[in-house]
Amino acid sequence: MANDSSDFARSMAIATSGLRAQAGRMRVISENIANADSTSQTAGGNPYRRKVPTFSSALDRTLDAQVVTLGKIKPDQSNFRVKYEPNNPAADGSGNVKYPNVNSVVEMTDMRDAQRSYEANLNIISATRRMIQRTLDILKS
Amino acid sequence: MSINDLPVLSALRTKMQWHQERQRVLSENVSNSDTPQFRPRDLVEPKLDKAGAVTGSMGPLALTRTSGSHISPSGAASAFDQNKNAGFETRPAGNAVNLEEEMLKSASNQMDYAAATSLYSKSLHLLKTAIGKG
Repeated sequence: MANDSSDFARSMAIATSGLRAQAGRMRVISENIANADSTSQTAGGNPYRRKVPTFSSALDRTLDAQVVTLGKIKPDQSNFRVKYEPNNPAADGSGNVKYPNVNSVVEMTDMRDAQRSYEANLNIISATRRMIQRTLDILKS
Repeated sequence: MSINDLPVLSALRTKMQWHQERQRVLSENVSNSDTPQFRPRDLVEPKLDKAGAVTGSMGPLALTRTSGSHISPSGAASAFDQNKNAGFETRPAGNAVNLEEEMLKSASNQMDYAAATSLYSKSLHLLKTAIGKG
């Protein structure tokens, strides 16, 4: 978008960056939920590790505004869940199987949070669109 | 004297520009509602004198600090209302955006803008009546 774009266009672009960031967050959350029970392929190996999305605020030079971007997706360093399942192919020597450190309750609350933020950004877009419509109505009158 | 120099119209135009700019600041707040260390901002209202000219500060929002090593902008900072007495809460990550409050502000901004545009078109209509084309 050009530098001389109107403030309304910039508002929409900023809110769109928020939508994009929240959609990326949803992707990471769905990855975590889908892999909540993925064990290792090898005996005694580490299973899927939960991923945590990060957000950062960046100055978009073409827009001249603070937009939000999805930063690095970092691994959650907390401990794996361990279950005693000697018959599982992924079990180590003592019969313990490591399960991912994904807590579905945490993922669900994260998902609701992402949903709320997404809706807030959508609201900003529709509010801005109504304001643009009012401006155009001056021409019609 | 052009039509745009009329005090009513120029005052309304300033107000509309202010609402545009405020909408941008509010959308920045909402989109950064999950960014750590982000503080929401707002614009101070423009002060208009009787002739419709701006007397208070309403500078453009050009300067923004993106790194802690930058020298802080001297002029633009005064144009922001730091919202000190609004009683917002700060989350552990340092983010102080309150989504409900931002939605409320966005709605009131939109309504005030609608009022300003209606007044603007009413004033234009008045002019048309005056020149006999209404």
